[in-house]
Amino acid sequence: MNSMLERLSKEFRVTDITERHPGLTTLTADKDVAETLLRELRDREGYTHLNFMTAIDYIERGVFTLVYMLHNYATKSTLSVHVNIDRVNAEMTSIHTLWAQAWTYQRELRELWGINFPGSPRVEEDFCLEGWEEIPPMRREFDTVEYCERTFTSREGRGTVNPREHMAEIIFPNRGGDK
Amino acid sequence: MSLKDLISPFFVWQRAFEKPYTVGLKPIVERPGAPAYRGFHINMSDDCVGCGSCFTICQNHAIDMVKVDGLEAHGGDSGLRPRFDYGRCCWCGLCVDICTAGSLRMTNEYAWFTTNPDDFRFVAGMENKSWDGRTGGYHRHPDYHLFPPKRIEMEMLAPEESVASFTEVAKGYTEEQAKLEADRCVECGICVATCPAHMDVPDYIHSIRDGDYEKGLQLMYRTNPFPATCGRICTRRCESVCPVGIQGEPVAIRWLKRFIVDQVAEADYARILPNVEADTGKRIAIVGAGPGGLSAAYYLRLKGHAVEVFESQAQAGGMLRYGVPSYRLPDPALDKDIEHIRSLGVEIHFNHSIGRDTAFSDLLDNYDAVFVSTGLNVPSQMRIQGEDHPRVMDGLKLLDDVANGKDPQIGTSVAVIGGGNVAMDAARVSRRLGAEVTVLYRRRIEDMPADTEEIHEAQAEGCIFVTQAIPVEALNAAQSDQVTLKWGEAEMLQDPKGGRPRPVLQEERMHLDTFDTVVSAIGQGSNLDYIPTEISDQLQIKWGKFIPGDYQQMVLNKLFVGGDVANATADAISAIEDGHHAARGIHRFLDTGQRG
Ligand SMILES: Cc1cc2nc3c(=O)[nH]c(=O)nc-3n(C[C@H](O)[C@H](O)[C@H](O)COP(=O)(O)OP(=O)(O)OC[C@H]3O[C@@H](n4cnc5c(N)ncnc54)[C@H](O)[C@@H]3O)c2cc1C
Ligand code: SF4
Ligand code: SF4
Repeated sequence: MNSMLERLSKEFRVTDITERHPGLTTLTADKDVAETLLRELRDREGYTHLNFMTAIDYIERGVFTLVYMLHNYATKSTLSVHVNIDRVNAEMTSIHTLWAQAWTYQRELRELWGINFPGSPRVEEDFCLEGWEEIPPMRREFDTVEYCERTFTSREGRGTVNPREHMAEIIFPNRGGDK
Repeated sequence: MSLKDLISPFFVWQRAFEKPYTVGLKPIVERPGAPAYRGFHINMSDDCVGCGSCFTICQNHAIDMVKVDGLEAHGGDSGLRPRFDYGRCCWCGLCVDICTAGSLRMTNEYAWFTTNPDDFRFVAGMENKSWDGRTGGYHRHPDYHLFPPKRIEMEMLAPEESVASFTEVAKGYTEEQAKLEADRCVECGICVATCPAHMDVPDYIHSIRDGDYEKGLQLMYRTNPFPATCGRICTRRCESVCPVGIQGEPVAIRWLKRFIVDQVAEADYARILPNVEADTGKRIAIVGAGPGGLSAAYYLRLKGHAVEVFESQAQAGGMLRYGVPSYRLPDPALDKDIEHIRSLGVEIHFNHSIGRDTAFSDLLDNYDAVFVSTGLNVPSQMRIQGEDHPRVMDGLKLLDDVANGKDPQIGTSVAVIGGGNVAMDAARVSRRLGAEVTVLYRRRIEDMPADTEEIHEAQAEGCIFVTQAIPVEALNAAQSDQVTLKWGEAEMLQDPKGGRPRPVLQEERMHLDTFDTVVSAIGQGSNLDYIPTEISDQLQIKWGKFIPGDYQQMVLNKLFVGGDVANATADAISAIEDGHHAARGIHRFLDTGQRG
């Protein structure tokens, strides 16, 4: 495992290699080598299975981190390959040629995060959000609460009390800063 | 229609007579949810503090914070509890992940039948449910946190370095550190009720996230004109109730306050902070230029009243100047606060004692209102024999000398008697003056009224703590410039009524130790001699402290009091709030003639 990681870090400029717990290691790879790296892991290192793909929105840093979770059945080890891509015009090479099921994940990633995978089969089609007209909902700038308030009604009898204001009223009614 | 379509219903009918797979014989065996299933919520209502973080994070607005019978708002708990609306919940579990108290989780129960849809709106933990007491279901993993449980550590001078000078020990946060620490705040506002001045804590912390320090300063001055000071030495009651502190360390509110003030230059204060309103023609006298007096002065002056402060000392600040040592509160920080108050036109008469230079009754006669905040400046007696020995000194005198640049001549071995902040300051100052220091305290370390941080720093700086030690007598030592302290060991006796354990002197376990100086720092009381008896007889005063009514007003309508001489907490922030509240009362009284 270690010699493999050493080799990868040299040959593929892989960084941030961290063992999260025995059997799960994460690492970060550059966007332009990611596809070759994944192929290498599948064909030469025994990571034959793609468990899943997902993304994390690091809006503060202006990137999406794509996560490719791979499994090696022989060594029972899981490798999580992270690839940072630009949030603006977010786009990534499709890997449906490496693992056929990837096209489903990529279709989901396109719908929920707005990340495009040119050439991925049916990637443009609706996945689970039929007729969605908002920005992709897993993007952090999507205001879920606002959307819910606008879209769904509340049952009668709802109503909330603000803890801080409630305490001010009960505990220090005429103190604190001028209103 | 094909033949198959035509006859297939008969095949299905045939099945009706077989033994079913799914519905067994009664009673129906329920299948429990998976161990970490996100099912119905459960809230340990006694542990929940009503912070509302679950409400805030819920992306579906499935939660309301509601009043419930039998729960009252009190320090550290809003008394509100989350009510769930299962018509909107999507079972994401975010509310469980954020729960500051760790009181909320989800059980693995997922079946609930009722004919009334309103039943699905319920206050978890306050209504009996069939899944109460279940242990399975979704818990936040102990290592998974939506906010880091540890605060950003404040960089301090190393103890070897700190004892060598009076340089400020805490270095202050960098901008990066302050932003990270500010990010730990869930902005629930539970602390606001506990802060004696009710500062807008979540709002000024938010200003750090936004990098808008001028806004932060404005927010602080709404309730506290001593932010540079309090950002360093506040007793920070707020931190003791911060819900983030329940499962981790509380947000470093005091250091964040300091950070904001340190970012804004004093020269910019006039532009940023509110200015004085139009002149009202009213005149107010204030006795004492400590934080209580000056806080009142600030808020009264803002309202356009003319304010004169009478101060017996040569400088303003009261105990913050003459008590708190400069390694905790450097003069420039205190001056920054005081200078802004003075810049608004608050006049201070220095070296002017009421009772000596001006009669107290003259103030009542010549001003529209009087605010008194004269503090506690008489050291309490140890009530032991030999207390008047020339090598026994009181802690206030020691600190006062040092603040005034005088050498208190303590020698190289010092015993400090007491366990409060004054004792810690006296001990650490003595270390800085080059002495070996032993602190003697009658109870245990955990009983010490001093701030734990102060105790740790004193220990790190090499002060030796001897606990359960009761001084009995100060005797002449072999050398005339020393003193021998006779002290006895104490056993802690449990109070059968459940009060705090009491130290009992063990007569047979006495010790004699010789020191260059014994510093007594066991508390202080007031000196109200400046008030003539014909006036004080009319006032409510108990154990040397005023007992004010609403808005800090006394029975003499014109007289308002506050600070250490009128409250039980005796810290800077309480004095500041008393001053602010009295200012509000005085303004109201002058405006409408109304009493509190
Ligand atoms: C050593 C020490 C350490 C402390 N550490 C802390 C700390 O870390 N955090 C904290 O929050 N608090 C601390 N305190 C407490 C804090 O300093 C006081 O609570 C606060 O200063 C009280 O303010 P005040 O306005 O009531 O009185 P003071 O600050 O005592 O001010 C009263 C002023 O009135 C003047 N005065 C008195 N009589 C007259 C008169 N007849 N005529 C004119 N002027 C008069 C005095 O000279 C003084 O300047 C400490 C106190 C001491 C002594
Ligand atoms: S589980 Fe999710 S949707 Fe349901 S109340 Fe909690 S935060 Fe809201
Ligand atoms: S987050 Fe936890 S402690 Fe705060 S109100 Fe909700 S259940 Fe109570």
